[in-house]
Amino acid sequence: MTSLVHATVPVGENVRLARDTYRIRLDCPDLARAIRPGQFLMVRLPGSTDPLLGRPFALYDTILDGTGQPAGVDVVYLVVGKLTGLLKEVRASESVTVWGPLGNGFPDLPPLEQVGLVAGGIGQTPFLAHIRELLGGRGYGGRPAQQTAQRVSLFYGVRTADLAAGVDDFRAAGADVHLASDDGSVGFRGFVTQRLQQHVPRPAHLVGCGPEPMLKALAELACEWGVPCHLSLETPMACGLGVCFSCVTKVRTAAGWDYRRVCVDGPVFDVQALCW
Amino acid sequence: MIDLSVSLGRLRLKNPILVASGTFGYAKEMAGVVDFARLGGVIPKTVTRHPRAGNAPPRTFETPSGMLNAIGLDNDGIDHFIHYHLPYLRTLPTAVIANIAGESEDDFVAMAEQIGREPGLAALELNLSCPNVAGGIDFAIDPDLTGRVVQRVRAVCPLPLIAKLTPNVTDVVPVAQAAAKAGADALSLVNTFVGMAIDWKRRKPILGNVTGGLSGPAIKPLALRLVWRVARNVKVPVLGIGGIATLDDVMEFLVAGASAVQLGTVNFYDPTASVRIVDALPGGLASLGADSVREVIGTLRTG
Ligand SMILES: Cc1cc2nc3c(=O)[nH]c(=O)nc-3n(C[C@H](O)[C@H](O)[C@H](O)COP(=O)(O)OP(=O)(O)OC[C@H]3O[C@@H](n4cnc5c(N)ncnc54)[C@H](O)[C@@H]3O)c2cc1C
Ligand SMILES: Cc1cc2nc3c(=O)[nH]c(=O)nc-3n(C[C@H](O)[C@H](O)[C@H](O)COP(=O)(O)O)c2cc1C
Ligand code: FES
Repeated sequence: MTSLVHATVPVGENVRLARDTYRIRLDCPDLARAIRPGQFLMVRLPGSTDPLLGRPFALYDTILDGTGQPAGVDVVYLVVGKLTGLLKEVRASESVTVWGPLGNGFPDLPPLEQVGLVAGGIGQTPFLAHIRELLGGRGYGGRPAQQTAQRVSLFYGVRTADLAAGVDDFRAAGADVHLASDDGSVGFRGFVTQRLQQHVPRPAHLVGCGPEPMLKALAELACEWGVPCHLSLETPMACGLGVCFSCVTKVRTAAGWDYRRVCVDGPVFDVQALCW
Repeated sequence: MIDLSVSLGRLRLKNPILVASGTFGYAKEMAGVVDFARLGGVIPKTVTRHPRAGNAPPRTFETPSGMLNAIGLDNDGIDHFIHYHLPYLRTLPTAVIANIAGESEDDFVAMAEQIGREPGLAALELNLSCPNVAGGIDFAIDPDLTGRVVQRVRAVCPLPLIAKLTPNVTDVVPVAQAAAKAGADALSLVNTFVGMAIDWKRRKPILGNVTGGLSGPAIKPLALRLVWRVARNVKVPVLGIGGIATLDDVMEFLVAGASAVQLGTVNFYDPTASVRIVDALPGGLASLGADSVREVIGTLRTG
């Protein structure tokens, strides 16, 4: 493992993007320089033991300073419980504790015509940086920008319109965005995987992040189409470092299957490796 | 110069701050995080005789200032440990203490014999007390069973022996005494307290294993009392464990009678705490006018 950044860092801003959804900007150049799309960081509130554990959050994007150097990290979060409920009250210039970069990140892809990114709910967060990376808009982790996809299509499913967050960011980064909602209040009415099914031409590679039923539907579709597919999993984590063995998922092995730690062997897995 | 070294039976440590089994992986995971040379010792995750997949997730759940876990001794077995993890572990510039759990007395004996032949280990800790393993026997609820395992292991394994005990008994002292009498060099306490968490809306247990072990700051007062009781009533040195996260916590356990401490859950939420505590320890001792750790061990004034 390369050196980990573990620091209590100032918050630049913490703004509402959509219903129950916020973007927090963390001033942490060391982390911003090192982290790549698909990797995550742990966030913890200092000075309290309740909540006790850090919580994992995907890199939304890195923030560059005036000279183009990575200076900060954006995280987009949905308020669902104890830590996120407190996080939304944190003001600019207050501090949070972070450690990262963690996890494997999205794999490098060969040059492709079209990559399809499929997000369910807050599962959209890892995709902004990935869009920029694929389209050559920005390099991450010290690597130069390099375009690998001619086109990136984001299929983004939400329960209802006012939960859709960051759509302008995705478009500004160069993706074409196709929304779906359960109630039809925005975009296609139905599951995001059904929206993907209607799309022509078929993407040459698929990447998914979101609730497990959505990922399973995506995995089936990818299998049916014979299109390679990677999924980013969101299992509950206690350390993010690989030492607690709480974040496991079933992975295929020569002997059948074994539990593997999502925080070190993932969070991104080739669909073929998962034992679902 | 303040002397941080401590002796626990045949085991000598450069300082009394260790990291607890199951909370530090196999150490390699923490290589970019912690400078191992600063630690008093590292105890890798428990190994069993045969590979175990472990329990179905969810395996952990946070509670107020604590957490429940039911990992279920997920590990690849002792042969894999010796061939895959030990070569790395034995290069660490600190004391490495292997930790084993058996489903039977014979398991413990066979593993201790095998581990005892391996160079590069400072001691062997017997996990007699894992609460999350269906089918396995919780040895440390029974003084006779505990004594027998320790005695038989002692006969086949030359390493200093540490018996890790469970707090899930009416009185831990008889178990501790049995382990001491059977030849344990030291005792580790405590392992986690059994507990559970329920999702009442779904009328379901939250953990895959239904019950789990409670750890973290929430258990510190409970652990402190048990360490104090055992240190007063049993002759062998005690490694105090339970919710330790700060220098103050360490000082409390030393004064209560612990000769060394293990940090557990804190490694998850404050991964550099162990080295910061080692750095702060001389200051803590100096504030009591002590020149060594030994001078403060078991110096609680009661009545
Ligand atoms: C690699 C990875 C990346 C992630 N990236 C992001 C991201 O970018 N943005 C984001 O918003 N999230 C992300 N997540 C998810 C995020 O980590 C969790 O939403 C977060 O941990 C919630 O913390 P909390 O303290 O607010 O919620 P908690 O209080 O921990 O609750 C978590 C969940 O458990 C449920 N729960 C809590 N208590 C109970 C109970 N007693 N009974 C039943 N259910 C209960 C809650 O309703 C909630 O759904 C990611 C997860 C992973 C693993
Ligand atoms: C996730 C987790 C896994 C653990 N696994 C083991 C283990 O494999 N073997 C063992 O002897 N103790 C294990 N423990 C117990 C710890 O070593 C320690 O005794 C306990 O957590 C109390 O200390 P703490 O409050 O500082 O965490 C585990 C604890 C946790 C939280
Ligand atoms: S979160 Fe601790 S091992 Fe993955």
